[in-house]
Amino acid sequence: MIELTIDNMTVQAHEGETVLQAALKHGIEIPHFCYHPCLSIAGNCRVCLVKVDGRPKLMPSCNLEATPGMRIETVSEEVLAARAAVMQFIILNHPGDCGICDKAGECRVQDYHVRYGEIDPVSIEPKHRKPKLYDLSPRISLDNERCILCSRCVRFTREVSGSHMLGIVERGCHSRVARLEGKVFDDPYSDNIISICPTGALLSRDFLYKSRVWYLEPVRSVCTGCARCCSVNVWRRRKRWHVRSLGAEKNAAAYRITPGENPEINGHWICNKGFDLHKAMGRPRALAPLIAGRSASVEEALQEGMKMLSEAVNPAALISAHASNEELEAFRIALGSRMRVYTREDHSPQPGEVLEDDLLIRADKNPNSRGVRELFGDRPYDATAGHDLVLVWGDLDDYAPLGKARILHLTSFVPPQGQSADLLIPISTVFERSGTFTNFEGKANRFDQVFDKPKLVQHAGELFGGLAA
Amino acid sequence: MNKDYWNKPAMGLWERLYIFEVIRGLCITGSVFFGNMWKWLTLRKGALTAYYPEEVRSDYSPNNRGRHVLTQRENGEVQCVSCNMCATVCPAYCIEILSTANFDDVFHPKAPERFEIDYSRCIFCGFCVEACPEDAIRMIKDIPDFPAFDRDTMCAPLDLLLNWRPTRDPAKVYPTQPQNGEVHPWAA
Repeated sequence: MIELTIDNMTVQAHEGETVLQAALKHGIEIPHFCYHPCLSIAGNCRVCLVKVDGRPKLMPSCNLEATPGMRIETVSEEVLAARAAVMQFIILNHPGDCGICDKAGECRVQDYHVRYGEIDPVSIEPKHRKPKLYDLSPRISLDNERCILCSRCVRFTREVSGSHMLGIVERGCHSRVARLEGKVFDDPYSDNIISICPTGALLSRDFLYKSRVWYLEPVRSVCTGCARCCSVNVWRRRKRWHVRSLGAEKNAAAYRITPGENPEINGHWICNKGFDLHKAMGRPRALAPLIAGRSASVEEALQEGMKMLSEAVNPAALISAHASNEELEAFRIALGSRMRVYTREDHSPQPGEVLEDDLLIRADKNPNSRGVRELFGDRPYDATAGHDLVLVWGDLDDYAPLGKARILHLTSFVPPQGQSADLLIPISTVFERSGTFTNFEGKANRFDQVFDKPKLVQHAGELFGGLAA
Repeated sequence: MNKDYWNKPAMGLWERLYIFEVIRGLCITGSVFFGNMWKWLTLRKGALTAYYPEEVRSDYSPNNRGRHVLTQRENGEVQCVSCNMCATVCPAYCIEILSTANFDDVFHPKAPERFEIDYSRCIFCGFCVEACPEDAIRMIKDIPDFPAFDRDTMCAPLDLLLNWRPTRDPAKVYPTQPQNGEVHPWAA
């Protein structure tokens, strides 16, 4: 350990740690644009300048290794003046259209301008014009005027995702971020550059102008896209900003998904499938119980389910790998001994989807396969076992492989077209309940309830007791 | 309980005689009554009562913070860029804006698709006008006409806010080209 002094406070740093990292670790705020804990150090934004005792000039703290006995000043007049000057320079060609920029409210340029600068550039030259609303990819819109050339996105594609798709072209004030010519920017992790962009240069086309960010609040949830179980933040509307005349469905909509920082599982990143989690959850829902295709009340459906279970001679259950550990345990206690339990993969990889890579994406596209395996083992459905009732839990595209058995289907989304189960009970999605998934490494990841469940929809964990009684 | 008030009426002899003062009062009210009656008989408007909602009061101040209007650009498009500053500053939370993206117009990529002001909640404080960076929302002398039996029907939609057609005070001229004379590469 190294001891150094930052603003008259003695802090400890590891060997090789930079001054900026040591300061951030101890709650001393030094502004920074280009520094990101998961990327290499570029040292090009110069807003993290600090005064080092004994050196004639200010030094960028992100690129300054901590040495024993170092004395750093981060709030002296000299440093503040340099910071204000750097901010003035950075926003020299910044269009300042915060009013229509989706980043406003969580933008580093905006925050630091208000906090450290608020000096308008003195240039008499007109601001440089660069391409706006440039579609970097079908998912991302690039506004080169807002870009401050911190190169975070470029370093991300080179160091983290490895696609090497982005670069900075041209010189001086004509510099701009561009993708490889003639190539489609189809990096499976591309949306992360929206999250790490310190300004509004890179924006999600899906979220574009959907809402101002201060109307929204993040709720910690877990991505159900694959067995990695990445932590995500689901952004819902704050209660204070619930709309009335624009339609109540906007209050119960997930506006966007951002990575939830979780060093144990996914670090700072998630894949594009995770960024699209709200679209996967926005599929048409099953909203009312159906008895042989006819809608029924919840009580009727539960009565019917109890009757079906008590009449069945050889019942079986197909367990969902999208169920939380708590629900699986509830099932095991209530029905586990009465039914033959089979496991399955709810979702298999879609054509064109990245199957598996070294970073995050796993070939198993279900979140809780490991949790299911730990409780019930690994046993695919056996159609020859002569079951007369199958409790299907989770999404299922086709009932035909289940044979002639009666079907009790618990699902969140609308069942297959043209087929109707003998009893269908709608259950809540991952956004509407809380619980844990166990990822493929055996690490449990907790998700919180984001929205209230629709009225006729049941939590699966609360159903089994009623069905077993 | 006897209490002395600072503006305790000091009655003279005339008032204390009572009956003559009462007759004088009756003369005042009577003359107003018969004056109005005469106007009414001769088919003119009598008393100054405005029969809301059929009639609108004529004596609003020109500075009255009445209903909101949205100004327009020279080409007739709505001036509002849907930045939500008005909705954010509104202490009554009565403004709701749904934005739309227009990728073809580089200068105005964002515009309101729906703009709702809930007059059952509006307190007419004028903060929205002050917060607007584009001079897009103003409050004019007219009052919002929302006599209704149901609070949910008191929302002013975008087309109602845009129906302001002033003769004397047109919406400000908005630069559709950058003022420094340089043509945006995407506008060319």
